[in-house]
Amino acid sequence: MPADTRVMLPVDQHLALTQQLYCEARLLDGERYADWLDLLAEDVRYQLPLTSRRFRADRSAALAVGPGYVFDDDKARLELRIQRLESGLVWAEDPRNSARRIVSNVEIYQVETDREAQVYSVVDIHRSRIDAQQRRLTAARTDRWRCEGGVWRLVSRLIQFDHPVVIDSNLNVFF
Amino acid sequence: MTDHAGLVSAAGAVQRRQIYADPAVYEQELERIFGRCWLFLVHESQIPQPGDFFRTFMGEDDVLVVRQKDGSIKAFLNTCTHRGNRLCRADRGNARAFACNYHGWAFGTDGALVNVPLEKDAYFNEIDKTRFGLVEVDQVASYKGLVFGCFDKNAPSLSEYLGDMKWYLDVWLDAQPGGTALIGETQKVELMTNWKLPVENVCGDGYHLGWAHAGAMKAVQSMDFSGFTVGNASVDLEGGLSIAGLNGHSLLATVDGVSGYSFYPDNAGILRYLEQNRPTAIERLGRQRGEKLWGSQLNLTVFPNLQFLPGLNWFRVYHPKGPGRIEQWSWAMVENAMPDDIKQRILDNQLLTFGPAGLFDNDDGDNLAACTEQSSGWRTRQIDVHTNMALGRSGPRPGFPGDIAVGVVSEHNQRYFYRRWQEHMAARNWRQVPQYNLNPLAGDEALADAG
Ligand code: FES
Ligand SMILES: [Fe+2]
Repeated sequence: MPADTRVMLPVDQHLALTQQLYCEARLLDGERYADWLDLLAEDVRYQLPLTSRRFRADRSAALAVGPGYVFDDDKARLELRIQRLESGLVWAEDPRNSARRIVSNVEIYQVETDREAQVYSVVDIHRSRIDAQQRRLTAARTDRWRCEGGVWRLVSRLIQFDHPVVIDSNLNVFF
Repeated sequence: MTDHAGLVSAAGAVQRRQIYADPAVYEQELERIFGRCWLFLVHESQIPQPGDFFRTFMGEDDVLVVRQKDGSIKAFLNTCTHRGNRLCRADRGNARAFACNYHGWAFGTDGALVNVPLEKDAYFNEIDKTRFGLVEVDQVASYKGLVFGCFDKNAPSLSEYLGDMKWYLDVWLDAQPGGTALIGETQKVELMTNWKLPVENVCGDGYHLGWAHAGAMKAVQSMDFSGFTVGNASVDLEGGLSIAGLNGHSLLATVDGVSGYSFYPDNAGILRYLEQNRPTAIERLGRQRGEKLWGSQLNLTVFPNLQFLPGLNWFRVYHPKGPGRIEQWSWAMVENAMPDDIKQRILDNQLLTFGPAGLFDNDDGDNLAACTEQSSGWRTRQIDVHTNMALGRSGPRPGFPGDIAVGVVSEHNQRYFYRRWQEHMAARNWRQVPQYNLNPLAGDEALADAG
């Protein structure tokens, strides 16, 4: 849908949802995973597809059986990842590393059902790990958020990762 | 040339940390290991059609692997023969020709120079295009779907190079009609580690599992893996074997026929697949391998940098990028005989456990990086690291090639890996590299099968 035919949310809702995105980033930066899970709808789908660099003119079909996802998680699987991180046994996160998520380029549009919104954003994750190590992970996100009883919850997130090679020794992070 | 005699001890139980950090050692590895050994290029399933290409590395050399019109496979240095530009920047795809970005020289998929812009006006039609084809990798050969390349014309054939390891590779590559495939896109992760550390981690280090992966093992509660417990409180050594002494190749093997799939949250469908197809595996491989190994958790290592794990179904190659850096490339692997839904679950589970955000894989990177970094300090690099677990406790087993130590928690395989590393580093050419396939299976398999 071209941008000019899109309908934005009423300004108060737009503001509330924007705040939600920043709040979400702060919860993740603070490793407040239980609070983050509360922001997710029960039927959430959280995906980061694998990609490869192809020539623009290349029309060769992708191989059978789908391309695969770095993350293809429902709520139960996100909980599993969080159980691991909170087990106290993930040595790579102890002492804790710090992360700052910068959320930007936020666009919010209405969708047919007025209880949901389509949200585009960019997240830039700065990880500071071990001595002077700095890693930066940048991704675009296409989200669907749903308003449930006055609270916006994440229904789906498709992450477009800009690095063909993951430039960090782990991805113990959520985007 | 560095004298490598002092870097790995004769008994093979000690390595000097210098081997993980020294640029001179690394330079010699590029020549004597990556410039000499057969290196994994691509799985045939990844380039099925003529014109399909896949861009990879042999050591630090950028290599383009291309399916030919006649179905054969060629590999070329991915560099334009005019002024040296990188020829192909795509990871993979299908092409009819490769045109260079710089001045437009174009090469056919067979490597021949087919077009030179301004050939008449600027070269006066005096250029002999046959002299400027792409530079071919000296040897390319396949073993049951796995395509390898080698820069050394004098290397033994791929079949000789693999030696008795083929007997074990077949447990995965040849158990079912139709062979195997790699699926999904390449999963690339940069790790700040020396390339030898991930190899030894997977080839023999069952020791780290219960400790390094404790968080993941606790979260994935359904785990029941050959007697390992969270925190390495105990281990049952009876369930597995550490097998080495095969020209530098090795494997860890559990022998129960099903444990490969124990990390799956719900593995009923996969166990049914194993049950239904086991008679075929036994028919093709014999009872030892069909019953005990097919379906078991196996860690297979083809020296120097290819590893794959039937069961967890990841397939991985490590590309060195300097003494302290690698790119780790992984895929999911399947048997073509598997139904599509099992293939899909394998890809999904491989990514969940050992993908770039894998619950298990995410524990390893920092350990490997830290072992590398702790080898670079001037004083630190002069001390040793040790692989002395269960030293002197190996021997032959009827029916299984190789020198074998009991259990998958042992440093037996690492010792052989460093022994092989030293043999290559010390040898000036292939004639000086010893070939050994200890305890050749001749006769024994039938004996063991009968018993
Ligand atoms: S460098 Fe490739 S055409 Fe000149
Ligand atoms: Fe590991």
